[in-house]
Amino acid sequence: MSATTAAATRRPPPWRDVRVLRVAFQALFLLVVVSLVLFLLDNMVFNLRRLGIETGFGFLDQPAGFAIPDSDFRSSQSVQDAILQGARTTLVVALTGIALATVLGIVVGVARLSPNWLVRRAAALYVESFRNVPVLLIIIFLYLAVFLRLPPIGRAIEWVDVFVLSNRGLVVPSLAATGSTGPFLAVVALALAAAAAAWIWRTRRFDATGQPHHRVLWALGVVAAIVAVGFLATGRPYGLSLPERGDLGVAHGFRLGPEYSALLFGLVLYTASHIAEIVRGSILAVSRGQAEAADALGLSPFQRLRLVVLPQAFRIMIPPLANQYLNLTKNSSLGIAISVYEVTKVTRVSIAQGSPAPQAIAILMLIYLVISLSIALVTNLVNRRLALP
Amino acid sequence: MRVWRLIGLATLATAALLLASGCSLGDDDDDDGGEAAATTGATTTGGSDGGGGNLLSTVQSRGTLNCGVNEAVPGFGFVSQGGDFEGFDIDYCKVVAAAVLGDAEAVEYKPLTAEQRFTALQSGEIDVLIRNTTRTASRDGSEGATFLTTTFYDGQGMMVRADSDYQELEDMAGATICVLSGTTTELNLESQFQARGVEYTPLAFEDNDPLQQAFTAERCDGWTSDKSQLAGIRSNWPDAQGGPDGLRILDVTMSKEPLGPVVRDGDSNWASAVDWAIIATLQAEEFDISSENIDEALESDDPEVRRFLGQPVEGEAFDPGLGLEPDYAVEVIRSVGNYEEIYNRNVGPDSALGLERNLNALWTDGGLHYPPPYR
Repeated sequence: MSATTAAATRRPPPWRDVRVLRVAFQALFLLVVVSLVLFLLDNMVFNLRRLGIETGFGFLDQPAGFAIPDSDFRSSQSVQDAILQGARTTLVVALTGIALATVLGIVVGVARLSPNWLVRRAAALYVESFRNVPVLLIIIFLYLAVFLRLPPIGRAIEWVDVFVLSNRGLVVPSLAATGSTGPFLAVVALALAAAAAAWIWRTRRFDATGQPHHRVLWALGVVAAIVAVGFLATGRPYGLSLPERGDLGVAHGFRLGPEYSALLFGLVLYTASHIAEIVRGSILAVSRGQAEAADALGLSPFQRLRLVVLPQAFRIMIPPLANQYLNLTKNSSLGIAISVYEVTKVTRVSIAQGSPAPQAIAILMLIYLVISLSIALVTNLVNRRLALP
Repeated sequence: MRVWRLIGLATLATAALLLASGCSLGDDDDDDGGEAAATTGATTTGGSDGGGGNLLSTVQSRGTLNCGVNEAVPGFGFVSQGGDFEGFDIDYCKVVAAAVLGDAEAVEYKPLTAEQRFTALQSGEIDVLIRNTTRTASRDGSEGATFLTTTFYDGQGMMVRADSDYQELEDMAGATICVLSGTTTELNLESQFQARGVEYTPLAFEDNDPLQQAFTAERCDGWTSDKSQLAGIRSNWPDAQGGPDGLRILDVTMSKEPLGPVVRDGDSNWASAVDWAIIATLQAEEFDISSENIDEALESDDPEVRRFLGQPVEGEAFDPGLGLEPDYAVEVIRSVGNYEEIYNRNVGPDSALGLERNLNALWTDGGLHYPPPYR
């Protein structure tokens, strides 16, 4: 007891006590932030009320009134459905964009280190020209100078029934359901499960005996075989829908619109140029001794890259790569410039048609937050898997 | 320790500042805030019901009018080759400035897209919106907007390439139609085609420029908008694309589009001032007073004309109490003109747009413009 009282007497006064000050300043800071937020919120609600603008979220259930092209959305559906339809488009653009940008980025990044002069220089030219131009300009340029300049529908480029290319989009054959598809989808699920089993079996066998596992081939083979049998057994539930050109558009088939393509390719080309630099840096960061060791083992250059260098480079590149994925997702909102109905466009149209701006924008931010945090979560999980223990 | 103390002091100072500014802003809820509000707050009576504004005196002490306009519709609001704003709506910005400030050129033009316009109005960035804006119930009700006297009675039309063989909307099944997003036009397009059961694909752009690019590239088959706007665009169509004759406006009217100036809700003084500035141009045409004969009109013996022009009747000038100078109409007519002059100069039969008066004639000529009595 006497020891603690002695310590207490030696304590400095509270206004010089680090422990007290730390807590006090944190509390003060919190107070300032909270009161600022409350003030802004109160100010906004007060002013909206004064102007007679709705402050609740009832507008979400109102009919939207506007149409969204290339979707099942009808103008009699609610604003909420419209925003969800937009969020779906954003998600599709983001995921396809991420996949394509990753592949292109890795190819270009590896090419930048190629011993071949032409390949190396071409990759450098691509990276430097796309990395240093605003992505909005790339998107608008692709739209106005490339996709809109394709021949109009009257003079569309056709190749038998396989594709129709015009400035109303590229139309390719698609699968269309011709009967009940439930049993067939069950067969597909079964095929995937069987493929997973085959994969595990081949891996175990490889671990036990050292025989080449060929697990990719095995898994693909299992899926193909089961799906083919199932397709015939369930009475061919899908048929091929071939594009048919009319005077004003193309019926049937799957259509990739020019607006959507310009956005997707703009984002992919821009982001891939950044990813290429990340890939190049990560490869260079792998110790030279690793590559030399691979050479000493007699691996071919491709095997050296795939089995030794890239796996180690991946570990380094995951965190900066995640950043690029988030950028691509957020940049997809630039589709608004060329009339792509992603979530920002849909929200802005609904604001212009009467939805209250503060609430609608808050919902929009929440949607981007959810998408971005989900992507961050996935990349963090991958990062943890790959990290050295 | 030293660092901590510095940070602490800084935080305290910031907090104090924030609280102080927070209180003052919270107490006086003028949209324009700042000095203007402080100086003018005392001079006017303020509003009657809580959300009182005093934009009229704010504008007068600022000395310029912030007018939200279009910059891409020839005839109504566009930027000429010399870099000046010109058009029917622009002239009405000048009318308001002439009435409120006594100077038709004291206008700060704020070009806005269709989607930005109501947000700009709500936030106080502009004092009045004169940008071919259609009056609708939901805009009146939920955009916090007050619509004033209609300046132009319009209707939605459809423009197609001259070499196409569309005659009416039913012919356009399967067509792609370009439209500006965030407009009443976009909603009418949807409801008109649905009512007729015609399938179509809309393509909605934020600006007329990419829309024109898409239409030129035959990305879309039709371009729908207010007929007056279509006439303006057609008149300015580049010769490389066939000039005005390369385009055709279908003989269908898809909607009623009364276009007029818009102000924020909750400031009836300002609304009346702007409204009567607009009405003055119509009244002037009814009295046959134009910028050419205004000086003779000032000598008129007709008491109605004298009252309208703010000239003394039996020794006293009539002041309706709008907060404007009694003779504001003189400045409006002298510097901008009456409705007929404004109409003919920008969109009339002899202009590039070549629009007949039709619905936009005065009531005395069988049109819809009917200025309320000035007394």
